[in-house]
Amino acid sequence: MDYALSEEQAALVAAVQGIVRDHGAPPSDARQSFAYFDASLQAALQGGGFLDAARVLGALEAALVVMEAATAPGAAELGASALVAPHLFPSAAPNGPFALIDAAALGKAHRHLPIAKTALITDGGDVLVLDLNGVRIDPVDSVYAYVYGRFAERIDLRALPRIPDAAPLLRQWHRVALAAEMAGAAAQAVAFTVEYVKTRHVFAKPVGAFQAVQHRLVQCHQAALAMRYLTLKAAWAGDAYHAALAACFAQQKASKIVFDLHQFNGAMGITNAHLLHFWTYRLRALQAEAGGVYASAHTVANALWGGAGP
Amino acid sequence: MMAFRDSVRAWLRANLPADWKHAMLGASEAEHIAFQRQWFCALRDGGYVAPHWPKEWGGAGLSFADQIVLYEELARAGAPRLVLYFISLYHTPATLLAHGTDAQRRRHLPAILSGDEIWCQGFSEPNAGSDLASLRTRAERRGDRYIVNGQKIWSSNAQYARYCLLLARTDPAAPKHKGISYFILDLDQPGVTRKPIRQMTGGAHFCEIFFDDVEIPAENLIGAENDGWTVAQATLSSERGLTILELTERMRIAFDVLCAEANNETPWGGRYIDDAGFRRRLAEIYARLEALRALVSNMLDRVVRGESVGAEPSIIKVYYSELLRDFTALGLRMGGLDAQRIAPVLMGGGYETGNWMHDYLYSWSWTIAGGSNEVQRNIIAERALGLPREAPAAKPRG
Repeated sequence: MDYALSEEQAALVAAVQGIVRDHGAPPSDARQSFAYFDASLQAALQGGGFLDAARVLGALEAALVVMEAATAPGAAELGASALVAPHLFPSAAPNGPFALIDAAALGKAHRHLPIAKTALITDGGDVLVLDLNGVRIDPVDSVYAYVYGRFAERIDLRALPRIPDAAPLLRQWHRVALAAEMAGAAAQAVAFTVEYVKTRHVFAKPVGAFQAVQHRLVQCHQAALAMRYLTLKAAWAGDAYHAALAACFAQQKASKIVFDLHQFNGAMGITNAHLLHFWTYRLRALQAEAGGVYASAHTVANALWGGAGP
Repeated sequence: MMAFRDSVRAWLRANLPADWKHAMLGASEAEHIAFQRQWFCALRDGGYVAPHWPKEWGGAGLSFADQIVLYEELARAGAPRLVLYFISLYHTPATLLAHGTDAQRRRHLPAILSGDEIWCQGFSEPNAGSDLASLRTRAERRGDRYIVNGQKIWSSNAQYARYCLLLARTDPAAPKHKGISYFILDLDQPGVTRKPIRQMTGGAHFCEIFFDDVEIPAENLIGAENDGWTVAQATLSSERGLTILELTERMRIAFDVLCAEANNETPWGGRYIDDAGFRRRLAEIYARLEALRALVSNMLDRVVRGESVGAEPSIIKVYYSELLRDFTALGLRMGGLDAQRIAPVLMGGGYETGNWMHDYLYSWSWTIAGGSNEVQRNIIAERALGLPREAPAAKPRG
């Protein structure tokens, strides 16, 4: 595939970048928090139709939107709205934002559940659709930069509308979505750190002038770049194999990126006053989703070498 | 484009010796040289040996996009790599076409295409590797010639070469990048001593070259005296990513070899391919390989469009070399103790021949050769991330 952006795609990316710029400075109360859901960012993306890019333009454009929007310090529900729902509901989708849930883990905490309007629940091979209006949700405190919540009441799955055999499609686009968010967050975390090491001086020179820092930072940059290309390819190819490949790569690289970037930000990197954790902890959260690298690697392995391994 | 791909495939079907891997497995030095020349001549006669050379000099004058197709197909067909002719086909013509005289081009370019004259590169020295501009080999002008004294090292295939692309210092008083000149040096003359260096793989691909009052006619100077550093940039940017494309495709194909072996029984029972830990590791490496292919593809597309590629060649070089090490290590690990025997080497077979011990040890050269990965990371840090250069070490006092 050709990774160069068309004029239309470049304009779309520039528009999202403009919105992200407008949401670049978290309010002081959010700055000190672990989780920061930026409702204004969500509204701007949703209201502007950016999260409908998959329907209007295509999955590649939707992945570009998610990647760019994930560079904002505040979290929004991006991937499920932009990449999962349009493939599950090609014409009229239920209301977003969405929470993606596995029925086997119904009682656990779920990302975006407190702000979601609809939950998409994989149940074996099917997907159940749960309208969250009136459903009681308990917020769950988490360090993972997203808002999490769990059901405060019993959910009767048997009563929910069911989309037969849609679970593989949901899992596929969930992987593209998380890879896209990871690519955006990783690129921004690297850019943030590059700026920091250029301005922070030790021994009379910038931290970023030391090769010990430069070389590991370069590795992070390489990984973020490769995440981007694999994500674009997965969105373009539109199959489960490429989706798993992109997720497998992003999920295996995340730990090292997170560790190194915090290290280069020194003591500031382990404070909540610094913005870095908003991106790195989103990386950590997504690293574990959809079965984590274990499941994505095995999906790749099964596609390449047959078998239905773990 | 498809028509060209089809014609390359048809040519390879008709001309690639089916048994070449069998013939070159554990081949002697003489057999290796003879076969490299045979394959060189076959490609030349087919019009594929110098796809990037201008037609007026006997090349195919292919577009960069067609060159990409050619190298993809050579890799996919598992064709031999022309390891002995790499400098001859890339570095020498790039240098002569950019900075050489017409007489130099007329003397040397046709001779390269004859397959009779192999070239090597004389850049690195014992104390000038990554810091190449610190080189100390001297070339002193005496009348109509230069007299060369000094030593080069890590010169690939110099033992087989007739000519050397030589960097030597002609003005010791000038700043280190300014006092270097670039020469064509005839290795078949008194005062030149070549000593192959035995590597930990068992092979001896590179040499030390010693120069003891060796003469170079003044007409063999390339470019202006003391402007050798500028000329060298043409040498170093000669192949524009096509080698890494070919190697990446070869690695992808080598995955099939690895997977075929993964059907073998593990010592603890069951097949490797069914082992959850092994499958995960294999898939993780495959994902990295696909990421590499995407990086390479994007860079080459940008070259085709005439765009600047910035630090991407460095990013890809680091990426490829580290992946190659992990890939071959996986093969070695799967082979167990049995893979760690010294076994015959496939000459001209690339870096993933299935002789995992050799492939793994050979892979270590890739994180060093062509500008060590540490130097590449410096380049990426500076050009892609805009980070300041680390200050050079202070000169000792006194």
